[in-house]
Amino acid sequence: MKRIVGLLVVSHMFLVTVFLGGAFGAETLEIGALYPISGGLALLGEESWRGAEIARLQRNKAGGIAGMEVVFAQGDASTVSAARSEAERLIEQKKVPAIIGTYSSSRCMAASEVAARKGIPYFELGAIANAITDRGYDTIWRTNPTAADFSKAQVDFISQWYAPKLGKKPSEIRVSIAHEDSDYGTSVADSFSELAEEAGMKIASIEPYAANTNDLSSVIFRLRKADPDLVVAVSYANDAILLARQAYELKLKAPIMGTGGGHSLQSFAEALGEEADGVFNVDFTQYAINLDFTPGLNAFYALYKKTFNEEPRSGHSLANYMGANVVFDLIEKTGGSLDPETIRKAAMKLDISPGSTATGWGVKFNENGQNTAAAPLVTQWQDGMLVTVWPKAAALRAPIIQE
Amino acid sequence: MELYIQVLVSGLLLGGVYALISIGLNLIFGVVRIINFAHGEMVMLSMYLTFWLHHLYNMDPYLSVIIVLPVMFAFGVGFQRLVVQPILSTSATMKIFTTVGISLLLQNLALIFWKGDFRTVQTSYSMSSLEVMNIIISVPRLVAFCAALLSIIILFHFLKYTYLGKALRAIVEDHSVARLMGVAVEKHYLFAFGLGTMFTALGGVLLVPFSSVYPTVGVPFTLLAFVVVVLGGLGSMSGTFLAGLFIGVVESFGGTFVSPGLKEAIYFAIFILVLLVRPQGLFGKGRGTEEVGLK
Repeated sequence: MKRIVGLLVVSHMFLVTVFLGGAFGAETLEIGALYPISGGLALLGEESWRGAEIARLQRNKAGGIAGMEVVFAQGDASTVSAARSEAERLIEQKKVPAIIGTYSSSRCMAASEVAARKGIPYFELGAIANAITDRGYDTIWRTNPTAADFSKAQVDFISQWYAPKLGKKPSEIRVSIAHEDSDYGTSVADSFSELAEEAGMKIASIEPYAANTNDLSSVIFRLRKADPDLVVAVSYANDAILLARQAYELKLKAPIMGTGGGHSLQSFAEALGEEADGVFNVDFTQYAINLDFTPGLNAFYALYKKTFNEEPRSGHSLANYMGANVVFDLIEKTGGSLDPETIRKAAMKLDISPGSTATGWGVKFNENGQNTAAAPLVTQWQDGMLVTVWPKAAALRAPIIQE
Repeated sequence: MELYIQVLVSGLLLGGVYALISIGLNLIFGVVRIINFAHGEMVMLSMYLTFWLHHLYNMDPYLSVIIVLPVMFAFGVGFQRLVVQPILSTSATMKIFTTVGISLLLQNLALIFWKGDFRTVQTSYSMSSLEVMNIIISVPRLVAFCAALLSIIILFHFLKYTYLGKALRAIVEDHSVARLMGVAVEKHYLFAFGLGTMFTALGGVLLVPFSSVYPTVGVPFTLLAFVVVVLGGLGSMSGTFLAGLFIGVVESFGGTFVSPGLKEAIYFAIFILVLLVRPQGLFGKGRGTEEVGLK
C-alpha cells in the first residue's frame, strides 16, 4: 500500500513537473527533493514538499536559475533507512548535484550523512534537531531555526512579556514543564530548562508522561501542587488535547504554552472549542501574521491555493518555500555551480535581515551552516484562530492573558 | 487530605472506564478462551462509528448507542464465525498471530479510510464537571463509571439467573463437560462474542465525549483489558469491576505521587505479584479458571 501511495504521489509530482515546465530549452538543473511522502509522516512531509515545489514553479516562471530550468528529482524518505537509500539513489543514479529536504530530523540525520560523505551539498529546510548542524560537516546548510531557538524564543517571551505582565521579575517566575517522554519531548524540555535557568527563572517541576496515555489527571494534580506561573508543554497531537482538556476540567490555574507540534493543529482548536483560546505556542511562521513582516506570504498563499486547490495544512510548506528560495538565490549567485566550496563562500556572504522573507526570517549562516537569523514565533489561539502575537514586529494582535 | 481524596476520585472514575472496556473481554476471553489482540480495535471501531454518527447526522454520542451496539454485536458474531471459529482448535500461537494480524489490518484500514487526524466530538457536556466539597468530578467520566456499574449488575443477573447465562458459565468452567451436558457450545460462542463486543462498544461510545478518536486509539486498551480481566478473575464480572477500579486507583496514585511516566510500570508490577500469589486472579473461581487461554 505504502508503495502504491508513494508511486501515485511521485507520478503526480512528475505530471505537475511536466505540465508546468516546458518553457525552457535543453538546459535544466536537477536537484534532489527528499521528503517522507508515504508512511506515518506523509501528511506533513508532503506539505513540506509543496512549499519547495511552489518556490520551484515560481522560479521557473521568472526565468529559472542562471538561465536553467529547475527540476526536482523526487525521493521518498518514508523511514530512516529509506532516507539513507534514497539519498544514495539520488546521488548515484540521478546524479543530482544537491539535495533539499527533509521535514523529519531523524531522516535528515541519516540522509545528510550520505550526502556529506559524497561531498554533495545538503540543504535542510524544516527539521529542527540541534545535532543536524552540530556535527562538523561543511556541506550541510539549514535555513530554519533549531530546537534551541524554540527554547530561546519561549524564554525571551516569558521574561520580556509574560513576567512584566504578571508584575514580576523573570527571577520570580516559576515554570513547570510537562513533556511527552520520547526523544523529542525530552530534548526540548532539557534545552528549555537550561535556558530558563540561565535567564534566572525557577523550574517548579518537570513532568514526563507517555504520549499514548488516555488519562493525564495525575500530571494535572502534580502541576497543581507545584503551582507554577506557566506550564510549558511539549506534546504530540493527542496528548496536547488531553492535557488541555483535563487542565480545564481539573481547574489548573496556570496557562499552557505549547512547543510546536500538537498545539498548532486545527484539531486542537476543534477539540477544545472556546477553551483553546489563550493557549500560547511557539512554532514556525503561521499564516495569521503581520504581512509587513513577511513580504511574499500572500503571494505564496494564493499560489498554493491555485496549485493544490486547498488551504495550506500547516506552516511547514511556508518554511520550505522560504528555504527553497534561499537555496535558489544561492545557486543564482554562484552562476549555477553547486561545488561545495563555491556555495560555501556565497553562503557566508548572504546577509538578509529579519522581516524580509515570506517567513519573516532573516538569513545569516554561521560556520556550521546554520541560519542564525531565523527564529520561531510565538502564537496564541484567539477566537479559534492561531494568531502571531510576538515578537512585536511580526505580531498581528497583542498577546493576552485569558481570564 | 483534599488532594488524596481528589486523586482517589479521579482514579475511581478512570477505573470505571477501564472496567467498562474489560467486561466485554472477560466474556470473550472467559467463554471462548481466545486471546483477542484486536480487542482495542473494537473500541476504536465503535468510537469511529460514534464520531461519524455525530459528524454526519449530528447524533448525540450517548444516543448513538442504539445504533452502535447492535452493529457491533453483529460485528462480533461475524468475527467469531469468520475469524475465530476456524482457528479455535489450533495452537495458541496461531490464535495470537491471527488476532494481532486483524488488529494491524483494522488499524491500517482506519488510517486509509479515515486518515491519521485526531477527531473529537464537541458536546456541551464534554468538559463539564461537578464540584462537591472542592472535589472535582468530570461528568462524562462519571457517566462512564455509572454505565460500567449498571452493565456489571445486568450481566451479573443475566449470568446467574437466565438459562443462557447458566450455559455460558458452564462453558467458562469446563467446555467439554458443558458439551456433554447438551450445551451447544459453538452457538454459545457466537452469542458470547457478540455480547462481549457489544459491551466493549459501549465502552468505546462512552469514551468519545472526552477522548479523541484516531486509528491507534485502541492499542493501549488491549493490554490493559487483559490485565484487568486476569486480575479480577475469569468469569467474575464483579471481579472485573473491582480490578478495573483497582488499576485506575493505582495508576492515579502512582502517577501523582511517584511519577506520571511510571504509572504503567507500577500496576504491571502489582499484576505480576498477584499472579504469582493467586494465579486465578483476586476474585477467580478457583482451579480451572487460572489459565489464560494458552492451550
